[in-house]
Amino acid sequence: MDKLLDIINEILETKGEEKIASLTDEMSLRDHIGLDSLDLAELTAVIEAEFGIDVFESGIVNTIGEVVTKLELTQ
Amino acid sequence: MLTGASKGLGIEIAKSIVENGWNVIAINRSESEELKGLQNKYKEQVRIIQFNLENTSLIKETIFKKELGFKFPIHGLINNAAFAYDDIVTNINLEHLQKMYHVNVFSPFVLTKYVIRNMLMHKIKGSIIHLSSVSVHTGYKGLSMYASTKGALEAFSKNTGREWGQRGIRSNCLVAGFMETGMSSTLDESQKNRIYNRTSMKEPTSKKSVADTIKFLLSDGACSITGQNIFVDSGTI
Repeated sequence: MDKLLDIINEILETKGEEKIASLTDEMSLRDHIGLDSLDLAELTAVIEAEFGIDVFESGIVNTIGEVVTKLELTQ
Repeated sequence: MLTGASKGLGIEIAKSIVENGWNVIAINRSESEELKGLQNKYKEQVRIIQFNLENTSLIKETIFKKELGFKFPIHGLINNAAFAYDDIVTNINLEHLQKMYHVNVFSPFVLTKYVIRNMLMHKIKGSIIHLSSVSVHTGYKGLSMYASTKGALEAFSKNTGREWGQRGIRSNCLVAGFMETGMSSTLDESQKNRIYNRTSMKEPTSKKSVADTIKFLLSDGACSITGQNIFVDSGTI
């Protein structure tokens, strides 16, 4: 979860937006964190380089919890 | 990253890139003496990956995972490789047509997917260039299927440019006229002359002119050019 927070904060920082302090499973990537489709593409690329998993490959992922589940399932 | 670098226009583009001091990842189906020669001359700058672009579904695993790794930064993609299947429409052979679409359309799309992901990860304002053909814009007998693959690339490129422009990633097509390469080797002299007579300059398109324009499109000098079709075609009429 810490690594995921770092990755998301780096994307937010590049966008000139405020970093977030912590992640919860219920957080929506779009509505709560404010990532758009291009940001999600960047998130996917960085997660894949870091964890070796394409979290969006088998459909849209909406929440932090769903991302974490996909990462856990394949580890 | 350059596809189809082993001969013809591809080797000319590879030369133009390395002579400019950049590195090239050459993706080819087969090896060639010319490309090996270039690698011997510019050892540090030329990396060759043998891959058949008919195998679209293996692109991610082979090129991006095994060969390069996701952490290898890519600044440009030149989709140059193409398969020419020429015939009149009433003779369409589905198997040949599908092979051509894999090499000319599906693989360039998938390469673009992973190159853009790579650029995003490395925060690179990269440049994507697809080789198109004047046959998209000027009809020729026997080229309807081939031209349709290039037309697909032009549409893909324009929309890619629109989609990724805000991240500084550019996409353009280089619309080449007929050149003296293996691609046009099936044409006889009278067919070639008829084609060249349909140009303002009455001559084949220079491979060097195409390669140098690609070098420019890759460079920062082209930083405001995206979603365009750049014609290098001896002024086809």
